[in-house]
Amino acid sequence: MRNKYVIKLAKGGYLKYISHLDMVRLFKSAFKRAGIRLTHSQGFNPHPRLSLAQPLPLGYSSTCELLEFEISEDMKPAEILDKMRQAVPEGIKLLGCGRAAEGKSLAARAVAASYEVRIPLDAGFECDFGELCENFMKQEAIPALKRQKKADVKKETDIKGMIRELQGEKVDDNLILYIKVDAGNRSNLSPELLIPAFASFAGINTAREEMDVTRTGLYFLR
Amino acid sequence: MNIEYEFEKLLKRVEKPARYTGGEVNEVQKDPGNCSLRFGFAFPDMYEIGMSYLGLQVLYSVLNERDGTYCERVFAPAPDMESLMRERGVPLFTLETKTPVRELDILGFTLQYELSYTNVLNMLSLAGIPVFAKDRGEGMPFVVGGGPCAFNPEPVAGIFDAFLIGDGEEAVVKLCGLYESWKASGEGKASFLEAACRTEGVYVPSFYEPCYLETGEIGGVKKLFDGAADRVKKSVLWDLNSTVPPEKCIVPLIETVHDRAVVETFRGCTRGCRFCQAGMIYRPVRERSSDSIIGSAERQLKATGHEELSLLSLSTSDHSEFEPLATRLMAMCKENNVSLSLPSLRLDSFSFKALGEIGGYKKSGLTFAPEAGTQRLRDVINKNITEESIFGSVSQAAELGWGTVKLYFMVGLPTETYEDLDGIAEIARRIMEACRKGRMKLTVSVSNFVPKAHTPFQWEAQDAYEDFVSKHDYLKEKLKIKGVSFSYHDSCMSVVEAALARGDRRVTAALVNAWEKGCRFDAWSEHFNYSLWKEAFEEAGVSMGYYASRKRKYDEALPWDVIDCLVSKEYLITENEKSKSAETTEDCRQGCRQCGINT
Ligand code: SF4
Repeated sequence: MRNKYVIKLAKGGYLKYISHLDMVRLFKSAFKRAGIRLTHSQGFNPHPRLSLAQPLPLGYSSTCELLEFEISEDMKPAEILDKMRQAVPEGIKLLGCGRAAEGKSLAARAVAASYEVRIPLDAGFECDFGELCENFMKQEAIPALKRQKKADVKKETDIKGMIRELQGEKVDDNLILYIKVDAGNRSNLSPELLIPAFASFAGINTAREEMDVTRTGLYFLR
Repeated sequence: MNIEYEFEKLLKRVEKPARYTGGEVNEVQKDPGNCSLRFGFAFPDMYEIGMSYLGLQVLYSVLNERDGTYCERVFAPAPDMESLMRERGVPLFTLETKTPVRELDILGFTLQYELSYTNVLNMLSLAGIPVFAKDRGEGMPFVVGGGPCAFNPEPVAGIFDAFLIGDGEEAVVKLCGLYESWKASGEGKASFLEAACRTEGVYVPSFYEPCYLETGEIGGVKKLFDGAADRVKKSVLWDLNSTVPPEKCIVPLIETVHDRAVVETFRGCTRGCRFCQAGMIYRPVRERSSDSIIGSAERQLKATGHEELSLLSLSTSDHSEFEPLATRLMAMCKENNVSLSLPSLRLDSFSFKALGEIGGYKKSGLTFAPEAGTQRLRDVINKNITEESIFGSVSQAAELGWGTVKLYFMVGLPTETYEDLDGIAEIARRIMEACRKGRMKLTVSVSNFVPKAHTPFQWEAQDAYEDFVSKHDYLKEKLKIKGVSFSYHDSCMSVVEAALARGDRRVTAALVNAWEKGCRFDAWSEHFNYSLWKEAFEEAGVSMGYYASRKRKYDEALPWDVIDCLVSKEYLITENEKSKSAETTEDCRQGCRQCGINT
C-alpha cells in the first residue's frame, strides 16, 4: 500500500515569479520543514516522489495547481494540510489534500488547462467582445509565431486545433479572456502563443507586461 | 509613484524575477511604522551570490533580533533589471518591503572583494544617493562598509561615512544603539559620526586627511577630529559561543550558488601562510563548541528544510575536536536524511573514511592547494604541505576509486622562477603517472598572486600583466599531459584587483571613472572590461602599476596603517624577511609566534 496524496493549491503574489523547477524545490524543502518524509525513487540517483501535474509558466498565477507526492507513513490528509500550511511561504495557498487515485500520475493524464487573461484596454477601445471572439475562432487557421528549439528564429504554426474554448468580456477597462487549450504530453499550447495572436487579430496594443494570466483549471483523462 | 505596481511590470520582463521579490521562507516581516531604525544590508553583487554568504544571514538575524530595528536586504540588480529601472525611474529598493533605499537610516555594504566596488557606486546611484559622502545631506542614510576589504578602506574612503572593521556581530549592534541616541538628540549628522568613531572597530574616514610627498608616497595623515583614534582597532568577538548562530535562515526561492545550511565552526587560522589575508585579519582562532555547532546545525536544518549541511571555517580539519565532531555530525545528518559536506579537509586516514561514508566524492573531486610548485617556494610562502603528502593522498584516493583531483596553485609569488612553474607541471605529471591504471582526471587551476594589506607580503610587487600572460602560456605548454586540464584566472582582473586592494584615496577617482564608463560586476569575467579600467586610471592620472607592481619599502607609510588588525608590523616584517631565505614559521598551535594578537 503506497501513501500517495494530492494537494490542491493556489499560487499568487510574488510567488508567481518562480519557475516550475523552483516550485518543486520549494515543496521538497517545505516537506522537510514540516517533518514529513517523502519516499524516494530507487536507482543510482534517487529523487523524492513529488511532482506537479502541469508546469505553470513563470509569471502566471494559479488557483488550481495539483501536487502529487508519496510519503513514507500513512497520515490523515487533514494532518498533512495542517503541517504543510505552516511550511509554505506567503503566496502559496493550500486549498485541500486528498488521497491520490491508483494508476497513472496526473502529469501523464493531463490534457487541457483553462486560463483567465486580463488585458487592460486603451481608453476608448470599444467593440463587441462576444463577436470578436467568435470571429477569431471562425478563422480557417490561426497562425502564431513559435520559437524554434534550436535557432533564435520564430516559425509560424497553426494553433487553431489546440484551442478548445475562447470567450471574452469587458470588465471595467479590461478585457477578460477565458481560454481553454490543450495542455499535456500529447498536445500542448502555451497561452504565450495564443495571446499575441489574439491581440493582433483584435487590434489590441497593450504590452504583454500589462497583462495578467491566471490558470483556473486543469483537465485530465480518466 | 507606486513602486509595487511599476515593479511588477518590470518583473515580467527580466530574467530570474525572483531575485527581486523577497518573500522567501524565514524572511523577517516587521511593521516599518513601528521601527525607529531602518537598516539596509547591501550585498554589492547579484542575489544568488549574496544569499550564499553566511555573513548576511548572521547580521540579518542579529539586527532583526533588536526591537525597533528592521534590517532588510538589498542586492545589485542584474544589467537587464538595471536598465529597466533607469528607464522607468524605479529607484533601488529593499526586498522585504520595497522601500526605496534612500529612505533608510543606515545602509551597510559588505565588501567581500575589491571587484565589487563599482557595484557599490552603481547601487548608490540607482538609489538616488550621491556617491560621495561629502555630498550627502542631513536626510540621507549613513553609508557604512564592512567585510575583509574594509581592512584597506582607503580606495573607497570618500564613498563611505564609516567603516566597521573586524567582526560585525557586536559592533553593528553598538552602532545601532548610538544611532538611536543620536536620532533622539536631534543633532546633525556630524555628531553621530563623532560619537561612532569612539567605538572600537569604527573608522570614520572624513576625520583623517592624508598628505602626499613629492615622490608620491604618503607623507602623513592629519587628524581632523581630536576624538578620533590614531589607529582604529578592529573589533573582535572574543567568545564565539556568546552569540547564537543564525538558525531561521532565509531559504531562497530560486537556486543560488549554495543552497544549504551552514554553520561556522571556528574563525581565524593558525597556519600563517604569508600571502593569506584571511589568515591575518581574522586572528585569533576562536572555536565554537561542538555542542553548539551540532545543536545549531540541527535547528537550522529544521527551520530551513535544506538537504545539505556544510561547515564554514578557513580549514575544516583544524577544529580541535574535529574527529568526534565530524562523527557526530555524520550520524545526525544520516538520521535527518541530509547530506553533509566537509570542505577543505586535510587528507588523512580519518578524512578518507569520513568522505567515503558521506559520499562527498560523488559530487566534487579531491582538492589540494599546494599553491606553489616546489618545496622551496612553498617554504617561502609558508604553505605547509609536502609533495610526499600530496602523492600519498592522491594514490590512496585513486585506490579508493576517486576519479577527479583538483590542484590549486598561484603564479607570480615573490621569488618565483620558471623552475617553480616546472614544479607545477612535475607534480601533475607524477600524479598521472602514479594513477596510470585508474582513469584519473586532474585539473590544475592557477590563480594570480595579489598582494594584500596586513599580510607579510603587503610590500611585495605583483607581476606585470605581461608576466602573468607568459607564465600562463608556459604552463599551458607544460601541462599538455593526457588527462590533465588547465585553467587559470584572468590576468587583467588580478591587476585591477591589486591596484584596488593596496590603493589609497587617490585611486577613488579612477574607480569612479570606471563606474561612469559603465564598469559593473567586475568579478564576472563576462562583464569585466579591462580597456575601460585602463582608460579610467589613465584619465584620472593614476597609475595602476604604482599600486599593483611596485615593491614598497618597510618604512613607507601604507594607506591602511590607520587600521590596526592587532597583528604587528614587526611580525609582518619578520615573516617577510624569513620568506627571503625560505625559512618557515610553524603553526601557532605549536607555540606563540608573537604576532601581536595575544598582547
Ligand atoms: S591555511 Fe593558509 S591559506 Fe588557508 S586560511 Fe590558513 S593561512 Fe590562509
